[in-house]
Amino acid sequence: MSHDPSVWVTALLTLAIFSFLYRENRIFRFAEHLLVGVSAGYYVVQYFYSGVIKKMVIPMSQDLGANWVLLFGGLFGVLMFTRLSRRYGWAARYPIAFYVAAGAGYFIPSILEANVLKQIGGTLTAPAAAASPAAMISAFVLVAGVISCLIYFYFSVEHKGPVGTASRIGILFLMLGFGASFGYTVMGRITLLIGRFQFLFHDWLGWIG
Amino acid sequence: MSEIQRPAPGSAPGSAPGPASGPRGSLGVLAALDRRWIYLAMALAVAIPMLAPVRLPIVISKEVEAFHREIEALAPGDQVLFSFDYEPDVMAELDPMTEAILDRLFAKGIQVIAMTNYAGGVGIGQARLEAAARRHGKTYGTDYVFLGYNPDWSGTMLRLGESIKATFPVDQFGRPTAEIPLLATCDAYRDIELLVSIAGSQLSEFWAAYAGARYGQRMVSGNTAIQAIFIYPFYQSGQIKGFLGGLKGAAEYETLIERPAFGVRGMGSQSAGHLLIVALVIAGNVGYFLMRRKGLLQGNRLRAVERKGRS
Amino acid sequence: MIQRTLPIAFAIVFGVFMLAQYFVPHPWVARGYNTVLDWKQIVFGCTLTLGVFSLLRFHGRKLLRRDPGALFSGVALVSCIATVLAGIFFGIEGGPYRWLFERVQAPMQATLFSMLAFFVASASYRAFRARSAHATILLVAGCIVMLGRVPAGDILGFDAGGARYSLAGIASWILDIPNLAAKRGILIGVGLGMISTSLRIILGVERAYLGQSRSGGGGS
Repeated sequence: MSHDPSVWVTALLTLAIFSFLYRENRIFRFAEHLLVGVSAGYYVVQYFYSGVIKKMVIPMSQDLGANWVLLFGGLFGVLMFTRLSRRYGWAARYPIAFYVAAGAGYFIPSILEANVLKQIGGTLTAPAAAASPAAMISAFVLVAGVISCLIYFYFSVEHKGPVGTASRIGILFLMLGFGASFGYTVMGRITLLIGRFQFLFHDWLGWIG
Repeated sequence: MSEIQRPAPGSAPGSAPGPASGPRGSLGVLAALDRRWIYLAMALAVAIPMLAPVRLPIVISKEVEAFHREIEALAPGDQVLFSFDYEPDVMAELDPMTEAILDRLFAKGIQVIAMTNYAGGVGIGQARLEAAARRHGKTYGTDYVFLGYNPDWSGTMLRLGESIKATFPVDQFGRPTAEIPLLATCDAYRDIELLVSIAGSQLSEFWAAYAGARYGQRMVSGNTAIQAIFIYPFYQSGQIKGFLGGLKGAAEYETLIERPAFGVRGMGSQSAGHLLIVALVIAGNVGYFLMRRKGLLQGNRLRAVERKGRS
Repeated sequence: MIQRTLPIAFAIVFGVFMLAQYFVPHPWVARGYNTVLDWKQIVFGCTLTLGVFSLLRFHGRKLLRRDPGALFSGVALVSCIATVLAGIFFGIEGGPYRWLFERVQAPMQATLFSMLAFFVASASYRAFRARSAHATILLVAGCIVMLGRVPAGDILGFDAGGARYSLAGIASWILDIPNLAAKRGILIGVGLGMISTSLRIILGVERAYLGQSRSGGGGS
């Protein structure tokens, strides 16, 4: 068993959170609100330090001549806080419009290339890259799957006749994909629990090496 | 099984006296099972293999082999951009692979430029880097550097393609990046051999879009199981050269680099947990279908009684 | 005009510029691009800080009004202020600020999410029903992947004709082919959708991000 008070604090807080599994109780609510508070404090310090101090204050203090334009970014940032005011909240629309639109601008070419063109390329070249007859069959199944899934998502045409058949095949592929997602989701959740038990049994109780 | 609702006998006008409400016997017990027993079963499934470990064989998957090849292709002195794109909520899934990869990079003499796109990743990154550096006797500033956190991850990913020093004017500890020896000859993606993104979210995909598609940065990733399922298209198209998925991915990589640790040790509990879930799914569905069959039979009998009443 | 129209004009100018810069390799355009990226990071840092203030305002009001659970709101506020002061007075590299993260926040956050394992077990028993053919396919695929991606799946199999046929192999095929096809279809579809939404934002057609105006119309 650990003699480190920090480990004991962590272990007791861990058990306080786990107590919710039996039923909701005040100990859990205390731990939950402690987490909310500490997280909020931690994040606000990091956000301010990283976004304002590191990105604006320090560069401007080091070389104002080269970095004076960052002041406009600071001005936008200050305008964001007008959202807290009912009367002047409209001023926050400027930084929001700037942020959203600038992001949308550079989003388009990168996502078009990575999420659309390269994905289509990967699909169409799969049969050619197959190393064996079995792999080639699988590659054609892949191509058929991608096409049928895309047909399923195309709702501008009624899903009847050949389109309906392709759409139903697409649903089969989607169900297999969602089943795989379900399996991996379970895997991920169990791993998180393994991590906490590892801490309790190893770091706190010393029952495992 | 609780969704089968039956009217109490004689409660509805004209209804025939049916059987007693609710199932009886073992089916009844299973139908009314308190969820806390299930919680206990899950806790035992995870705890017992931990307390009585069983060493299970680990078979390496091709995406992990590809990841390993990319790391092994690096030469001493090469620079790697390592992004801790996760927060404490998924620490258990990603820490094992993070520690294994950092150990391998430091053992090979690779210079690590670390950063994070999450505020919570700062504490994690700082702790993991310092621990790995201590294990390998590495010096801050010459062997590794921690640039810290930048808000706006998409802007950061793009800005790094123009200038690392402009993106991070100072490192996490306030030291000007222009004065850090490791960054003297490294200021953009063109100077970085490999990008390693360890992500608990979609950020690996966005690294592929912004760093990969726009700047041609070669990359590998380590992802939570939930995210790894979405990396397959990027791996198949060659945008991500290899990836580790969840604790299994970490276990496979630890096996490849002959450094068994938490990933390998966790496979017993992982296996038991999965077996329990499959058993619960089967048990739940078997019970459901048995209950439905009983309901159908009783429904037929009801329908027969109603027909008698009308004639 | 100043409350609605000018912000939209702002959006159009910056959106078009950031789209055009991808295709224009001029040094002045590159400088403008880098400047906009720097501004974005400062704005986002302030936005995230604002988000935390909103959370604190919520708990502060609860405490002042003595609503049910006000005591716990007090806990949240006190711990938040203590963490901020720890960061300001003792630095963020180490000391109490780092201790609070490593010993309080990180473990509790991890524990909170680890409880999902229990909930998924309960849901597996009570809710995951093979009510239809599609649901059956989903559940069967899920079970195969679950068993195939742990060492148990490698063990469950047989050797024939010099090759190994195992649950792990079937799981691997499901992940490499049908899962990949489905995810790729979703990726392409969502990507095209997001591109069209981005174009609408840049052209000033999509304005939902500006929120409602108090006058109820597109007034100045």
